[in-house]
Amino acid sequence: MGNHVKVALVLTLVMLIIGIILSGVYVMTLNPIQKADLNAKFEAIKFVLTDPQTGQLLVNTDQIPETMAQLNAKIWKSDSSGVLYSNSKLPGYVLSPAYLFKGKNGENIYVITGYGIGFGGRVVTVASFIQQKNGFIENAIDVIDFSTETPGLGAKINDPDVRSRFFDIPNSGFKDTIKVNKDADLFPLPSNYKAEIPAYKKKGIVVTSDVMTGATITPRSVANTLNAMYEFLEKEVK
Amino acid sequence: MADNKISSWSALTAGWIRQNPTFVQVLGLCPVLAVSTSAENALGMGLATLGVLALSNLFISFVRNVIPNEVRIPVYISIIAGFVTMVNLLMHGYTYSLWLSLGIYIPLIVVNCIPLGRAEAFASKNTPWKSFLDGLGMGMGFLGAIMLIGITRELFDAGTIFGYRIWPAAYNVFVIALPPGAFLVIGLYMGLFKYIGRMRGQKRIQGSGESK
Repeated sequence: MGNHVKVALVLTLVMLIIGIILSGVYVMTLNPIQKADLNAKFEAIKFVLTDPQTGQLLVNTDQIPETMAQLNAKIWKSDSSGVLYSNSKLPGYVLSPAYLFKGKNGENIYVITGYGIGFGGRVVTVASFIQQKNGFIENAIDVIDFSTETPGLGAKINDPDVRSRFFDIPNSGFKDTIKVNKDADLFPLPSNYKAEIPAYKKKGIVVTSDVMTGATITPRSVANTLNAMYEFLEKEVK
Repeated sequence: MADNKISSWSALTAGWIRQNPTFVQVLGLCPVLAVSTSAENALGMGLATLGVLALSNLFISFVRNVIPNEVRIPVYISIIAGFVTMVNLLMHGYTYSLWLSLGIYIPLIVVNCIPLGRAEAFASKNTPWKSFLDGLGMGMGFLGAIMLIGITRELFDAGTIFGYRIWPAAYNVFVIALPPGAFLVIGLYMGLFKYIGRMRGQKRIQGSGESK
């Protein structure tokens, strides 16, 4: 009995000391972590509001948020549950809030955050959609959280080579949901596939197997996220 | 008792080559294989593991005499988990992009064999100072090994080291970035370490033979 009490006391004491040190580090890093996460979000929004072809901003410079207040002023839809739309079949989820920006020519540009399920957990993507007469064109994406994906494999999802494969997908591509080429029975790739990438996008096929060998689940999760975002926009924008 | 036999210098340097945790003890290979796709990732992972090793060894050695034998492993794991969480928080706050690219492998340092192995084999039997040096030395050995593999893989996969181009992209060997490439590189370095060890052993034998 005495030994059990001693074990319990020692364990409590050790955990208490670790807990105190840990809480100190937590308090110390709380602000830097919030700042780092927020900066990543601002950078992602600026990135997706840039035309990937020309490198020019799609909105006026003063529209790019640099503070939380400026960002909050751009909120288009929000929900206290944190989720604006979900499609568990994909699975793909749209997170709250969604933002609306006015383009240089007055067009609506929706900036949406969402996630799909990757190899290790959530893969969070920010994407911009430009409203057109007959639907939406997906402009660019930035994957802001892939911290549970495997380094060197799934974690390559935000490498410029990989990320760019998800840029500039027209509304025709989303009609029957977009898919990575392995899921669209386009594997192995034909020799002239690089020239055909824009045509594949029109059919909803995103070629990733050449730039992300050995990792299909992570790009699939991004495709599912974009599909959920498109469904959400079709439902909410009249 | 073990303290009398091991000098501080020996505690610090054992992990560099003689008992290198990666190439000689073959411990903690999972993160080495997964994270060593680039020199930057390898440096980040190596430094994180070094910090956890040195601090957990130090802390475990401080409390070694009060921890009941039957619960020592859960206590060691809890201490290591505490330091790993601290490293994770610090990297999230101050080195965001590195934290993002190392991903799940930072929390997984908790279950890496090296910190627990050193806690059980060294820190539980030696003074805090020597345990700290042992953790530091083993961490340096791990850092050196993962850096060597990371530099090699980045060089052959992308033709760069820390992003600086060394040779044109046309000469890249893509397989090096994939898991088989990691096994290939680590196997070659292990063979090299074994060969160096054997040559040094032969020289020592020859030297002692001549002196007789």
